[in-house]
Amino acid sequence: MTSRSLFARLLVGALLLFALPLAAQAPARSDEVKAPDPKWIVGEPAGPPLTGVELEKETARVASLLRCPVCQGLSVNDSPATMAQNMKRQVRDLVAKGYSEEQALIYFEKAYGEFVRLEPPMRGVNWLVWGAPVALLVIGGVFVVFVVKRMQRATKESSESAQRALPGRDTLPDDEHLAHYVLRTRELAYGWPGGVSPDSRETSGEVAR
Amino acid sequence: MPHRRVVERPSLNRKVLIAGLVVVVPFIVLLVMNLGRDPRKVDSPLIGKQAPPFSLRQVGTPAVVDLAALRGKPVVLNFWATWCVPCYAEHPVLVAAGRQYEGKVQFVGVVFDDQEDKIAQFLRENGTSYPTLFDESGKTAIAFGVYGVPETFFIDANGKIVDKYVGPLDPATIEAKLRLAGAFR
Repeated sequence: MTSRSLFARLLVGALLLFALPLAAQAPARSDEVKAPDPKWIVGEPAGPPLTGVELEKETARVASLLRCPVCQGLSVNDSPATMAQNMKRQVRDLVAKGYSEEQALIYFEKAYGEFVRLEPPMRGVNWLVWGAPVALLVIGGVFVVFVVKRMQRATKESSESAQRALPGRDTLPDDEHLAHYVLRTRELAYGWPGGVSPDSRETSGEVAR
Repeated sequence: MPHRRVVERPSLNRKVLIAGLVVVVPFIVLLVMNLGRDPRKVDSPLIGKQAPPFSLRQVGTPAVVDLAALRGKPVVLNFWATWCVPCYAEHPVLVAAGRQYEGKVQFVGVVFDDQEDKIAQFLRENGTSYPTLFDESGKTAIAFGVYGVPETFFIDANGKIVDKYVGPLDPATIEAKLRLAGAFR
């Protein structure tokens, strides 16, 4: 054995001597380090643990319902911010343990407030956010129908009264004496028997006198 | 009849005016009410609640500090990072306060979104008077609803969060918040 290979073996041995206790120490250390337990915040998981593709899908879905607190306009699923990535990792851990969507959302809501939910939950004052657009749409629709009907009625009435006001071929004055002269004039001028227009005679089938 | 129209018009206008006011006035009231409010400030829902329990390793040592073990005196839990500029200004204030209230109040630093060697170097260069813990996963920061750094939680002797402060602290604010946490009783 050359002195060089002996040195190399000694070096590897020395490295192993130092590395082994470190490797043994590392897991023991991480066991002691405990992030706040989700159980303490939202209780026991509601569903079965998830793994694989299902876990990734559910993680992305739940993370897309959470607002990234440092970017505000983006969901935790879409944001590249470290804070959002940490949160997404936490979502994955929660979902993997079997925590439901609602439990995961409550976990973050308890720390960040309702603001962390991208969709405000349907409760309390939030009903206004969900209900107001529908209510306004209905009220607006009723209002538009009401206004349009009133406008239609007004147009119909005004056109009817306008038609009534316009003198036609067979319009007669209210004064009976005068009406008699008008009919006589029409008879003489147009040759209509009795002063009644042929159209009126056809439609009504009788002679106005 | 023309005179009827003259009567109808003002009544229709009044209706439109009232409808307009019903829509606009609440918005104006909301706007005026919130004019002086800082839009970035969101009150922590954790205030008045028990602090989430955690145990984290102290930077540069194998020692683990458990928050529950610190019960008995108020705790100042300061979240910070070495890349955060305001934290540089805040650090000497906290170190001085840690010395000033030694024995009465426990100051604890928690660093997340950072590298341990950088934190150790920062502490070597700038000194410290209290333990600094490393939240490698960032989960403790999440459980405390931390948005950014620096953010500081004031916890009373029973482990209840009494207040949260966003931004760099000054000695007067620390004193006022410690009073809330019952440090001078």
